[in-house]
Amino acid sequence: MEGAFSYAPAIAAFPLVAFVVALAFGKYMPKKGALAGILATAGSLLLSVVMLVAVASGEVYHGTIYEWAVGDALTEVGADGIEFTFGILIDPLSALMLVIVSLVAFLVHVFSLGYMNGEGETGLPRYYAGLGLFTFSMLSFVLADNLLMAFMFFELVGLCSFLLIGFWFRTRSAPSAAKKAFLVTRFGDYFFLIGVVAIASTFGTLQFAGEESFVAAAETAIADGTTLFGFGPETWVTITGLLVLGGVIGKSAQFPLHTWLPDAMEGPTTVSALIHAATMVAAGVYLVARMFGYYAQSPTALSIIAFVGGFTALFAATMGVVKDDIKQVLAYSTISQYGYMMLGMGVGGYVAGVFHLMNHAFFKALLFLGAGSVIVLMHHEQDMWKMGGLKDKAPVTYWTFLAGALALAGIVPFSGFWSKDEVLYDALIVGLEQPVILAAYAMGLLAVFFTGFYTFRMVFLTFHGEPRTDTAENPHSVGWSIKFPLVVLGALALLAGVANLAPVAKLTGMDITYLEFWLDGEYGYVEGLTYHDYHELVAFEEGYISSETVTMLLGAGLSLGLAVAGAVTAHVLYNVPEPTRHTAKLGGAYDVLRSNYYQDEYQVWLAEGLTLPLARAADRFDQTVIDGVVNGVSTASLFGGDRVKRIQTGIVTNYAALLVAGFIALLLVLGFIGGWFL
Amino acid sequence: MMIEALIAVALVGALVTFVAPNRVAGKLAFAISLVPAALSLWMFSAFDGVGNALLEGDLAYESQYEWLELSEYTISWFVGLDGISMPLVVLTTVLCTLAIVSSWTPIDERESQFYGLVLFIEANLIGVFAALDFFVWFIFWEAVLIPMYLLIGVWGGPRRKYAAIKFFVYTNVASLLMFGAFIALVFALPEVTTFALPEIAAAMLAGGPEALFGVAGSTLASIVFVAMFLGFAVKVPVVPFHTWLPDAHVEAPTPASVLLAGVLLKMGTYALLRFNFTMFPDQVAAYSVPIAAIAVISVIYGAMLALAQTDLKRIVAYSSVSSMGYVILGLIAYTQFGVGGATFQMVSHGLISGLMFMAVGVIYNATHTRMVTDMSGLADRMPVAVGILVAGAFGYMGLPLMSGFYGEFTIFFGSFHSQLLEYAPLFTAAAMFGIVIVAGYLLFALQRTVFGPYRLETDYEVGRAPLHDVAPMFVLLGLIILLGVAPELIFEMITDAVDPIIGGEV
Repeated sequence: MEGAFSYAPAIAAFPLVAFVVALAFGKYMPKKGALAGILATAGSLLLSVVMLVAVASGEVYHGTIYEWAVGDALTEVGADGIEFTFGILIDPLSALMLVIVSLVAFLVHVFSLGYMNGEGETGLPRYYAGLGLFTFSMLSFVLADNLLMAFMFFELVGLCSFLLIGFWFRTRSAPSAAKKAFLVTRFGDYFFLIGVVAIASTFGTLQFAGEESFVAAAETAIADGTTLFGFGPETWVTITGLLVLGGVIGKSAQFPLHTWLPDAMEGPTTVSALIHAATMVAAGVYLVARMFGYYAQSPTALSIIAFVGGFTALFAATMGVVKDDIKQVLAYSTISQYGYMMLGMGVGGYVAGVFHLMNHAFFKALLFLGAGSVIVLMHHEQDMWKMGGLKDKAPVTYWTFLAGALALAGIVPFSGFWSKDEVLYDALIVGLEQPVILAAYAMGLLAVFFTGFYTFRMVFLTFHGEPRTDTAENPHSVGWSIKFPLVVLGALALLAGVANLAPVAKLTGMDITYLEFWLDGEYGYVEGLTYHDYHELVAFEEGYISSETVTMLLGAGLSLGLAVAGAVTAHVLYNVPEPTRHTAKLGGAYDVLRSNYYQDEYQVWLAEGLTLPLARAADRFDQTVIDGVVNGVSTASLFGGDRVKRIQTGIVTNYAALLVAGFIALLLVLGFIGGWFL
Repeated sequence: MMIEALIAVALVGALVTFVAPNRVAGKLAFAISLVPAALSLWMFSAFDGVGNALLEGDLAYESQYEWLELSEYTISWFVGLDGISMPLVVLTTVLCTLAIVSSWTPIDERESQFYGLVLFIEANLIGVFAALDFFVWFIFWEAVLIPMYLLIGVWGGPRRKYAAIKFFVYTNVASLLMFGAFIALVFALPEVTTFALPEIAAAMLAGGPEALFGVAGSTLASIVFVAMFLGFAVKVPVVPFHTWLPDAHVEAPTPASVLLAGVLLKMGTYALLRFNFTMFPDQVAAYSVPIAAIAVISVIYGAMLALAQTDLKRIVAYSSVSSMGYVILGLIAYTQFGVGGATFQMVSHGLISGLMFMAVGVIYNATHTRMVTDMSGLADRMPVAVGILVAGAFGYMGLPLMSGFYGEFTIFFGSFHSQLLEYAPLFTAAAMFGIVIVAGYLLFALQRTVFGPYRLETDYEVGRAPLHDVAPMFVLLGLIILLGVAPELIFEMITDAVDPIIGGEV
């Protein structure tokens, strides 16, 4: 390890130290561990920026730092050993993600000073320890240079979500939501772990990058046509890729494993910001980006990713339309937005997917922290129907929240417009040649309207109109620690799109698609992990309507028009002094949407209506049949041994004495035979 | 002479504790048990064994004396350690010490006898893992049962007599089956004149048994393999021979449960590895599919049973059945990672299940109930103990960077690419579903008992647990994390001893 990269492990280590400090000494510290966390994440942020600068100057790093286990294993492609290691891979993708994660984590820590410390909350050391562990796990996950290490920290991220969602453990709902989050994502991770084991057994390596990576090994196997576990190599890559995707679908809350995420709103709002913007949910999509070279080799896997993404985007957006709780609206918007990222990745739009991941991290952290600020203003009221008119009472919160909302809705020139447009454009050009992708594109496009609608419904209900309760009339005040993160993120929500103004570049011919250059090896890069490497692998044809420019303008116009239409509809319905619900217009659809398409019902039924009775039946079978046979045999033999009854006094010490006496007698006999005592 | 010293200290300590006054017995036994714990840790650090104890490996701390002769057969005192038994000996001594400390609160009658028996168990357990002569080994193997029988039968719960007798008779009948089969095998092996296990293993690998009583040699080997497998299967236990376990656990006092789950179950898997999987490679190959099926059934069925329980101790007890299923899967994979992972899992599960039983014990000490339905929100009253319980539960679920993950991951990896087992990927994937169910029942139990609003059906005041209840759990948690982060600490010596068993296979 040389130069700046020798500090890379510290990026993850700082928050780990903060975790230990907060857990062990938090209750003796002035801010109960907050300062340790702020300091640690500030350090991580600083070092992450250093890494970014190093990559910008053309350097990358890939190295093993710790050998976890080594051994022999005869794998399917004929390797005879395997190393399970912890290593660090710093390339454009991970350097960018490090900055995003540590920045959001830092701002969340600062925000927590105002949000959590203010109210006589007990258990703050536990809270800050959890945040520290969460940040540590996520940063380690981002740094990981191999799939097993990624899996391990992926799981630890799940643990942290359990601890933080269940932070208010004295309630009934929080522990239940925490359990659900862990269980549902664990169900996804089950497939992920099979995928890890399968890939290790196939290629004998789990490295993401380099000649020795499983990605390169898969390429070789496909080129050679090697049979893997009885399948053709492409089929096997598809199978293993989809198994890993199980973990992604769980963590990134894609259909059908999205049900944990709305419940996870039981955690503190700061935790929601962290989970949704930069850590747990982001981890899934980041993993797809990290091993994109593997998915790129399987058109089937890519199509499935795209379709799941497009479907989830629409599916979740429709549910967001009827929610009354401000955090619930944001929860469904998260599911929907990650759907876009999956759609982007699935059509081979690696840059678009990463771009949207970045923009979403900023504007979703902003919206959640903004919602947190609103919740403080409203004395912990989350129902939007009890708000209204906060615009004038809390201008900083309003204007920053509005910036986040414009970005989420995808209104030009806010960041979300550029990345969402790029995702949809990539989907469109592939879709023109592939009907499945076209369907995914259509769903993604339709979701834009709903996104514009629910976003502005939320803005209007919360901030516009007349105050509808006394609390909204006289809101609580918020301090600098709440305003500062909002302002930083508000600026990013407005400006982050500058990173990749692809349509402008195409129209004017200027070289301003910086993010694409960044991910395409214009700066530092790792062989095989660049955008054009991936692009060569992806087998999709691309089509255009008359010309590239026309297609682009058409797509952009369509998505912008739909977003504005959604916003305008919300304006007409809800931007009035005294808005009403208008839910009757939806008719029967309202009940379906309100019940989230009965997704929870069937999953709860699977757990409580199917598995639990099955377990109870197994238990009865065990007690009666299996144990019955055991007891039956013993009764029968005891009956035969009736004459031995006399020594069965039922007093345990008598049995003990007999046992010990017998044992000693046996030893004595053996001793005599062996001539021990002679 | 190191092994003799370990056993002697524990045995003499047992006698001394037996006659010591009740009031000091606990502290005295703890002090005595520190000696073998420290000694075994030193032996571990100075361990210089190479290869497998039965397959011409260089033993560490070997000693062999002729003991007695029965017609043409010689019985020797023959002990020594290899990379498989060394970690298990350390597990035994450390867990005994911690179990003694965890008994200070719950055991309040006949203390000197109780602690004396714990030390007596310790001596025999060390003997089981160290002995390399079948007779010596069998004496220790049987002698373990007596103190455990008494610990359950005297200090146990309301149905202690039923549970103790069931435990004793069931495992004893199984031992008889195994003993008879093995003796028949030894008689049928040509040119074997001792009960030394390395010699028997060599004879088995050189050509196996000759015909005996008109039964062909290969048939005899298969019969013996099956009989011994059944004998050990009861001990492990695998489904359907598991029903003694939950009864024994529920009635046993906490420290007995810790030792039962932590070490006694490992006797079964250890013996399977030493006898069946080392001496009978052909039969292992022939019966691989049914054995793998038993393993998968144990994992899934055991986990389903755990899901149905409402007694915390029964939950942990059934989950042991599930976890030991993984061990069987790793063994039958017959790969370095499979068998090595299985051995690692023995140690890891010993630590984690020990921790879980201690945690349940601490809750019981405070609330006098173990029923999930009787309590909720305990985290409010005993935050540290609950914190450790939660950490232990996640360890049980195989959380990465804790030892359970390493054990399970290496087993899964080792069995997925098994060359021996047909349909290995499917068996592996089926068994792996256990990691979802285990999360289900443990999180469900945690949600209902330690989280939520505080409520307790019994009218006991629940306060923070005393330090000596919590300290042993801290030690275990530390070891679990240590082995999870640095598994090579023991995995290296394990694989060194495993390699000769799997021979050409990797």
